Amino acid sequence: MSWFHFSWQNFWFSFLALAFEGLPFVLVGSLISGFIAAFVPSRIITRFLPKNRFLATLVSGLLGLIFPVCECGVVPVVRRLLDKGLPLSCGLTYMLASPIVNPLVAISTYAAFRGQHPELNTAVRLISGYLVAVVVGLSVSRVDPARLLGGKAIPSRSRRRSALSIAAMPDAPDASGDVSVIQRVIGAVQLASDDFIDTAIYFMIGAAVASVFNTAVDQRIILPLASSPILSVVAMMLIAGVLTLCSTSDAFIAATFTSFPIPARMAFLIFGPMFDFKLLFLYSALLKKRTVLALGVGLFIIVGVLCVAFLPGIYANLGS
Amino acid sequence: MRTWAAKFFNGITLLGLGGVLIAFFINGRIDQYLHPQFRLWELAGGIGFCISGAIYLVTKKSMDCCVDGQCIHSNPRSPVRAVVALGVIAVPLIAGTVFSKDSYDQQAILNRGFVQDARGLPLRNVAKDATPANPNQPAIPSEALGGDKDENSIEPPLPQDGNGNTASQNGPGQDSKDDSSEQYLPRAEDGNVALEVSDLLYSETEESLRKMFSGKTVEVIGQYLPGSDKSEFKIVRMFIVCCAADARPISVPVKAQGPVSVADMSWVKVIGKPEFVANGDRTKVVLKAVQVQPTDPPAEAMLY
Repeated sequence: MSWFHFSWQNFWFSFLALAFEGLPFVLVGSLISGFIAAFVPSRIITRFLPKNRFLATLVSGLLGLIFPVCECGVVPVVRRLLDKGLPLSCGLTYMLASPIVNPLVAISTYAAFRGQHPELNTAVRLISGYLVAVVVGLSVSRVDPARLLGGKAIPSRSRRRSALSIAAMPDAPDASGDVSVIQRVIGAVQLASDDFIDTAIYFMIGAAVASVFNTAVDQRIILPLASSPILSVVAMMLIAGVLTLCSTSDAFIAATFTSFPIPARMAFLIFGPMFDFKLLFLYSALLKKRTVLALGVGLFIIVGVLCVAFLPGIYANLGS
Repeated sequence: MRTWAAKFFNGITLLGLGGVLIAFFINGRIDQYLHPQFRLWELAGGIGFCISGAIYLVTKKSMDCCVDGQCIHSNPRSPVRAVVALGVIAVPLIAGTVFSKDSYDQQAILNRGFVQDARGLPLRNVAKDATPANPNQPAIPSEALGGDKDENSIEPPLPQDGNGNTASQNGPGQDSKDDSSEQYLPRAEDGNVALEVSDLLYSETEESLRKMFSGKTVEVIGQYLPGSDKSEFKIVRMFIVCCAADARPISVPVKAQGPVSVADMSWVKVIGKPEFVANGDRTKVVLKAVQVQPTDPPAEAMLY
């Protein structure tokens, strides 16, 4: 195949780079998860979110602004928050929005598009990412979590919420009982380690698959699609899925695809942090496989429609 | 026994990860993989893995992680699962340290496609000294050029000498000695202007750089990528934003005076003069080489 040339040298180099960059973030996410489990009572979470289903989902999409976690680290955090009683719609919204709607991504996007309407592109990326995450969150708000979550991620029956009535749930006995701070810290690290290993298995598989496609596939085969408004968006989402970049830096890569129209590059920047090869496997630590696939297809369609049907008009009206 | 075995393998997995990350930082191999801003982060991750692994191995389980005895984790009580985790997480990483050559081959570079427009690259770093300590810093400090400006922007005044002359007043091919911009041009041992591939690529979009480079004899180090004939080729460097996985190749075309015979993707030093040619509404640079010689790889193969 002329478009596929596998090489172990390239594979190892890309794979190790992804691992070195991503694993510390997974660890941080796991540590956050562990410390949430050890120190944060469920009532804090329930107090934080509005009781109204719609408002709670809207707020969840903005949590990344004050609690930024990248896409590598967000899965263990969301898994823990769900275990603490966070509604699934809010958890999914936070999981999808946090890698985009956070200060670091705003700064990097602004810097990457310097000279190319940085304010507009940054605003479009963050607002679009937020809206897509909210749409996905609301679409599952009435679905039984047991139908979507993987077996180990389903909160026990006693902790599961009925609809969106967010009542305070009991905490784990040790988490609220007479346990010294040191014991809690040790417990948090132990839980974080278990979280990390659960999550990192999927991360490493995803990084390996991504490295194959990242290095072996001739990305030039997609370039001729740049002239088509629809195919360019599809192509850039596929590239984002293959490259599996970190959301804090992907804008610099998107900015180099100057032959693609700006809506297509926005598709890259919105779809990539929400769903790529690495996340395809990473999400399996939280969701059922069919849910992961449905999420991928749904995001592909939503982001595609947004970038084909709406963003060109927005850019035209705003003079970009 | 099952819990102990699972705990042992999980602890080994964490310690193995930490060991690999710390080793890569100490022996400097990490420089080929990550942007500098992520290297300390990688070391911190390695230390974090080692501390977590040690705590995991030597302490007793102090808390139940979930309510009602239900645990969301798969690995703490299953030795099989823990061995699988070891095999999937730690073993490939350790194997990678053995088998990785810390670089891409020619095919990966071709597969990724070259960056065609320097305006898509991140901000040029600002070097405070004429001879930056970091060899990856662009040669020319941004303040000497008024920052990154494209061809449509208003050109800032270049540094002036005592007589009020500016670099732009020197004609092409005039390797002027009284050019005050000279102070910003780093020199190689043989007196040539030492540039990076990125500097030449940026000069396509910055007129002030073109004026500064025109007529100068420069030397550029990069990897040799063969072209259509033996006297035309590209010198290539990989440009990273975060890590080698996002590396994009940047290149400058070279026209040599005669056939060049070096191995593909080997490191070469090219000495010559840059020429700028109009190509539609853009300007492209071509390095007219007078000498092409094999050389050692630079301390950091990646540009950023």
